[in-house]
Amino acid sequence: MILGRMLEVFVLGVRNLLRNKLRSFLTMLGMIFGVASVIAMLSVGAGARHEILSRIQELGVRNVILNSVKPPEQIKPETTETQWKNKYGLTFEDADYIEAVLPTVERMLRVNKIRQRLWYGSKRLEASVLGVEPEYLEMFGLKAGRGRVFNELDARKKAKVCVIRRGLVRQLETVEDPLGMWLDIGDFPFQVIGILEDEAFRSHTRKALNIDAAAQEVYIPYSTSMRTLGTTTFIERSGSQEFTEVDLDQIVVTTRHQDEVLRTSQMLHAALGRLHDDVDYEVVVPLELLQQSEQTQKVFNLVMILIASISLLVGGIGIANIMLATITERTKEIGIRRALGARRRDIVIQFLTETTAIAAIGGLFGCLFGVLGILGIVQLTNWTAMIAPEYVLISLVISCSVGILFGIFPARRAAYMDPITALRYE
Amino acid sequence: MDNDEVLRLEGVAKVYGEGSAALEVLHGIDILVTSGEFVGIVGASGSGKTTLMNIVGCLDRPTRGSYALNGEDVSRLDDDKLSLVRNRAIGFVFQSFNLIQQMTVLENVELPLFYSHTPKRERHERCRALIEAVGLSHRPGHYPTQLSGGECQRVAIARALVNEPALLLTDEPTGNLDSKNGEEVLKIFHDLHAEGRTILMVTHNPEIAQGLPRIIEMRDGEVRSDPGPGSGRLVAEALA
Ligand SMILES: Nc1ncnc2c1ncn2[C@@H]1O[C@H](COP(=O)(O)OP(=O)(O)OP(=O)(O)O)[C@@H](O)[C@H]1O
Ligand SMILES: [Mg+2]
Repeated sequence: MILGRMLEVFVLGVRNLLRNKLRSFLTMLGMIFGVASVIAMLSVGAGARHEILSRIQELGVRNVILNSVKPPEQIKPETTETQWKNKYGLTFEDADYIEAVLPTVERMLRVNKIRQRLWYGSKRLEASVLGVEPEYLEMFGLKAGRGRVFNELDARKKAKVCVIRRGLVRQLETVEDPLGMWLDIGDFPFQVIGILEDEAFRSHTRKALNIDAAAQEVYIPYSTSMRTLGTTTFIERSGSQEFTEVDLDQIVVTTRHQDEVLRTSQMLHAALGRLHDDVDYEVVVPLELLQQSEQTQKVFNLVMILIASISLLVGGIGIANIMLATITERTKEIGIRRALGARRRDIVIQFLTETTAIAAIGGLFGCLFGVLGILGIVQLTNWTAMIAPEYVLISLVISCSVGILFGIFPARRAAYMDPITALRYE
Repeated sequence: MDNDEVLRLEGVAKVYGEGSAALEVLHGIDILVTSGEFVGIVGASGSGKTTLMNIVGCLDRPTRGSYALNGEDVSRLDDDKLSLVRNRAIGFVFQSFNLIQQMTVLENVELPLFYSHTPKRERHERCRALIEAVGLSHRPGHYPTQLSGGECQRVAIARALVNEPALLLTDEPTGNLDSKNGEEVLKIFHDLHAEGRTILMVTHNPEIAQGLPRIIEMRDGEVRSDPGPGSGRLVAEALA
């Protein structure tokens, strides 16, 4: 009964709007643009969020990554010696301590990284040699495109096997298939057992994992790397020889549960603070990236709300303006309805229905154009955007609210006309 | 109080404007109309006939005095209650028809029922019956612009009757019609009177006025002559 009546009022409203199609359409324009921009910006926002989430996923939501970093340049001792040894970064003791003491840690992976010269036949390359445990490959999605990655068995045997990036294959400039061939890393020959599927990590992942962008990655088992390459890097520069010793270049700590990540990172900060005199390490928490991005998102949202509000305000004022004109035109009709027993609130409802209907239809068109627009932008740029079915609902809620808000003034003006004067109006 | 009383005006005055611009248009009108009367209201232009009709029709409130409709004082009701009274107890037929141009005959006739929240099915039935009664059953889907003046006025009469009002008010219903259509419309009013309806009709036409059983003459906002309550009933009924 109530529903039937609402439908009747609605149909009447739409009929009145259809009476003047061009005007109704022009009135909708503001609404269309307003809602379209809301939708476009929502989908861009959602896209950005999705992007961040996928980055975090890539780095592992439950992970805390510890990297060794070179502390601010120490003053070299005043010595004529040409050999100088420097030690910094995460130590084996750190790793043992974390493994033994931290209750929230489920698993810990040690990484040894050495910048090394690589020989393939007579071809020489600079490479970043990472000694990692097999789980590490799995954790960071390093899959073999061809061949295979190394496994527990290789690790236990301390096998001299390696997995390389596709980019390295190109740099080798060889016509032979490098799969199964031997590379010399330092003084040891390693067999290439797999070529990774992906060209490289995405930049943020590379940054979080502290991987040199300039050198291609070569992965070897951690155990092999400890035995063959050791922890010392040797650099020769301007006559002096510099040895840098880093026990562990990276420790990847996986917590038991996502909720424990922040607590774990606090505990790691505390523990490392006690164990180290210098800050020669960094603690990367992927989950914190989310919080940072939410912070940036806030600024973006503010701008978005501003733009949308202005368009919707303009749209709303347009609706109010047209409605006021309509009401003047329809003064006589209002008088007739009042004489026949329409209460003020019946008149208010009638005109509010019209403003809401026009706003809602505009909102739906806006939603459509917003989605189409964003699809176009995604085609033309490298933005990510996400489109969700609830956008239709959001558009309706926004546009109906605007329709009601800006319809109230004209509707009340119609309702508060003197019926006698209105009836006399020609 | 007469049980048949439909409308009782006591000392009704209407003042337009305020302060020095105030203009008293009606000065203490006393009128009693009982059920089944057909009352004509005549008077020179500006004598206050329309002002009076607006008050009787609950479109306006008297500045002073009291107005009881069906025994209920309506002179101090708020806007919502007045709307309700207009909807339930009053039927208007205007000189200029006042149909909504964008609505069909049927929809126009339905309008009072819409505001009395009558279910749609019942609305249709009652409206169709009334449209048939005024002789327009062949064009319920037509728009007012497609109808002649006489037809429009008949639609307006159907609309005025659809809520079974206690009182039918009409201000110059034949004013916009040629004599033939005017006569037809007038005949409808006489038929309605014969059915026992209570009608108040403002008219300038002396010929029409002559045909009415009770004539109230107004002059300068006062009732100059009135044969008194009950005289507007059908002669046969008055005798009985
Ligand atoms: N809203 C108003 N404000 C001020 N004065 C008004 C108003 N309405 C009517 N009047 C005045 O009240 C007086 C009575 O007007 P009313 O319309 O009742 O006359 P009437 O008898 O219906 O005349 P007519 O036969 O020409 O229709 C007139 O002098 C008119 O100018
Ligand atoms: Mg008049």
